[in-house]
Amino acid sequence: MPDIEPFSPRGMFHEGWTAEVSDYAIACGWALKGKQFIVGDVVGGIFAFEGDTGKIIWEKENTHSGGLLAMAIHPEGEIFATSGQDGNVQICNCHEGKVIKTLDIGKGWVEHLKWSNDGLFLAIASSKKVYVFNQIGEEKWISEDHSSTVSAITWSNKNELATACYGRVTFFDIVNNKTNQKLEWQGSLVSMELSPDGDIVACGSQDNSVHFWRRSTGMDAEMTGYPGKPSHLSFDDSGKLLATSGSERITVWSFIGNGPEGTMPGELCHHTEPISSLAFSNKGMLVASGSRDGSVVASFLKKDGNGDPVGAAFAGDLVGAISWRPDDCALAAVNAKGVVNVWKFKVRTNLFSKGFK
Amino acid sequence: MSIKEKVPVTILTGFLGSGKTTLLNRILSEEHGKRIAVIENEYGEVGIDQGLVINADEEVFEMSNGCICCTVRGDLIRVLGNLMKRRDKFDYVLVETTGLADPGPVAQTFFMDEEISSEFTLDGIVTLVDAAHIDQQLGRSDESSEQVAFADVLVLNKTDLVSDDALDTLESRLRDMNRMTRIIRAENAKVPIETVLNLSAFDLDQILKRRPTFLEPEYPFEWTGVYDLDAGKYELMIEEGPDPEMSLVALSNQGESEEELKDGAESSVRLYAEKANSLDPGNTIPYGEHINLKLEEQGTKSFILNIEKPTKIGLFTQHTAEEFNMKVIKSDENKEISFNTERFWQAEHEHDDEVGSIAIERFGDVDPEKLNTWMGRLLSEKGVDIFRTKGFISYSGNPRRIVFQGVHMLFTAQPDKEWGNEPRRNQLVFIGRNLNEKEMQEGFDKCLI
Repeated sequence: MPDIEPFSPRGMFHEGWTAEVSDYAIACGWALKGKQFIVGDVVGGIFAFEGDTGKIIWEKENTHSGGLLAMAIHPEGEIFATSGQDGNVQICNCHEGKVIKTLDIGKGWVEHLKWSNDGLFLAIASSKKVYVFNQIGEEKWISEDHSSTVSAITWSNKNELATACYGRVTFFDIVNNKTNQKLEWQGSLVSMELSPDGDIVACGSQDNSVHFWRRSTGMDAEMTGYPGKPSHLSFDDSGKLLATSGSERITVWSFIGNGPEGTMPGELCHHTEPISSLAFSNKGMLVASGSRDGSVVASFLKKDGNGDPVGAAFAGDLVGAISWRPDDCALAAVNAKGVVNVWKFKVRTNLFSKGFK
Repeated sequence: MSIKEKVPVTILTGFLGSGKTTLLNRILSEEHGKRIAVIENEYGEVGIDQGLVINADEEVFEMSNGCICCTVRGDLIRVLGNLMKRRDKFDYVLVETTGLADPGPVAQTFFMDEEISSEFTLDGIVTLVDAAHIDQQLGRSDESSEQVAFADVLVLNKTDLVSDDALDTLESRLRDMNRMTRIIRAENAKVPIETVLNLSAFDLDQILKRRPTFLEPEYPFEWTGVYDLDAGKYELMIEEGPDPEMSLVALSNQGESEEELKDGAESSVRLYAEKANSLDPGNTIPYGEHINLKLEEQGTKSFILNIEKPTKIGLFTQHTAEEFNMKVIKSDENKEISFNTERFWQAEHEHDDEVGSIAIERFGDVDPEKLNTWMGRLLSEKGVDIFRTKGFISYSGNPRRIVFQGVHMLFTAQPDKEWGNEPRRNQLVFIGRNLNEKEMQEGFDKCLI
């Protein structure tokens, strides 16, 4: 592996801890307000580590026969949900990993899970349908069949769920069981992110473009020219910057002023192979990216979307997922070999980042 | 990081009832040392026995630009995207499509989606046809002819239900549609496993080894007989046959070596291009002319051949001598003179099917820029109708031959092995619908240096 640090590291990543899970790690997240870090591997192993030390707290294997597909940690961090090829969803307790409730969704893969921001609802996508349960596993709502397999789901506000599939994004009021809005576009939407205020809807499309809509004005735009399909999207917490990637490059669109239409996006070229995970910090304009080449880079962005790397590390193999600790003082990356890396991330406070150039 | 080998993927297509699931089960149950993951679009009554089987509904995703060549299979992207994270569990993938699947988007998925193409390689498309029903299916549905057109291997299944003659006719029809495919006859989908897996179907040397003549030109005649005749009067006796007329060219001084036969064939092709003069029985056959023997009468018909001095006569006939029990008789002795040499030619067929193959074979080098311009234009104009392209090209100045392969508008050109002492030449095959052979050949010729 060539040295993937072409710039001088500024000491932002500090040694934390490493650990291993049984197989290709595909999902990870922080629970118990950062005190615990949970990792899921592709064959269905789930592992909980102490957030500070990496000491294993509990582990379980074969949670979903056929394999794990998704994991989502409740915003309060006390429970989490997993889903798999077995068509099941499990809601579990973070402290011991015990299953609180198993939901039998059906025969299809259950590929997407999202807790609503207030944690009252869990949205579940399987094949062409989307289901909403409450936190104790009671079914609250089921969608009709979508026109294709649902490719992404996300909550736009506490009662409104957005779904993406081939040709369309749909907003459902799941409490009053009605469709609030449909945004149509002929293309296979492979990813979806909403700005934190829920106004901007961004979707990566199979035809190597990012399509976005502003719900308030109904305006939409298509950003083309990506070398690959933009599977990875992330908004910063202010909703001003949208980082996107379908290749080794990260393209950042700035929604400040009249942008991004007609503006030049910021470009970050720090990786040698395509991006495999992308996440803004919980606060501030720091974006972390993990690549198939195993490199992990954190970049500090300016308002126009351009920016500089502030730290980099090598995770050893294709980065399956990355996750900022809730206080942004640590960054975790899990890889295709099942290795977990957690780095301490210092200097990350709102105050500091303002003066940071 | 280590460079991973891509996982080969075989696509099984064919109409419902053609035996896909039987073949699939046969492959899975055989000892071949491969761990096979199966993606199944068709939920048949026959269950799949074992292995890593994933059911997925076929999802064909067109892009906003409306280009059919960019159309991909969303279900395959999704399922293969998951499988690539489980690389240690399998080393081969089989996809069983629905009977009505269009193979285009399936194949395109392996070209269009970077994530998929970085991990998987399309090894080959295997199409099963039900020998008893394919004739009707071809007439009725586009999917059926496209599945034939896309096939690297055609398994002509259920041959026990069809006569040998019918199988021959069927095979020749399928061959017309897809000249690159390998046709295997089978009962109950019983085929050797190595004929459907690990084909490296885009390996042209393999294809040429199997079928070196698929680029042989077609002739307007099927048969040539060379007769060594003394001076005198002869009769060409023709019995009843499959056609009420037959075109013929008679050449004097016809040699018997392969080279001389080919020269004679060349001259005859030119003569065949001229309008034929009709000749009723009892008349004398002129030399070096395209004539059309009228054979409507019942019984044996006879035409006259006059030989002034001893010579070898070559008869280039539209049909084989056998079909009409054609004989040459010396008139005064009433004695049959048999031919010294006969030669069969790859005959032109009536191309009934819209789907067919076009082959271009030329010696020499091409200008890479001209070729790219021509191919680019051809594929952008006709890409919808061109299902597959395969072949290799000799670029001037490049010591390696360039291998071309494509699906609809997508094509790749990659340097392959060195030419060495081999004569530099170009072989291209296009399989598609309503392709204009002459226009395409002329277009290619303009790229030659």
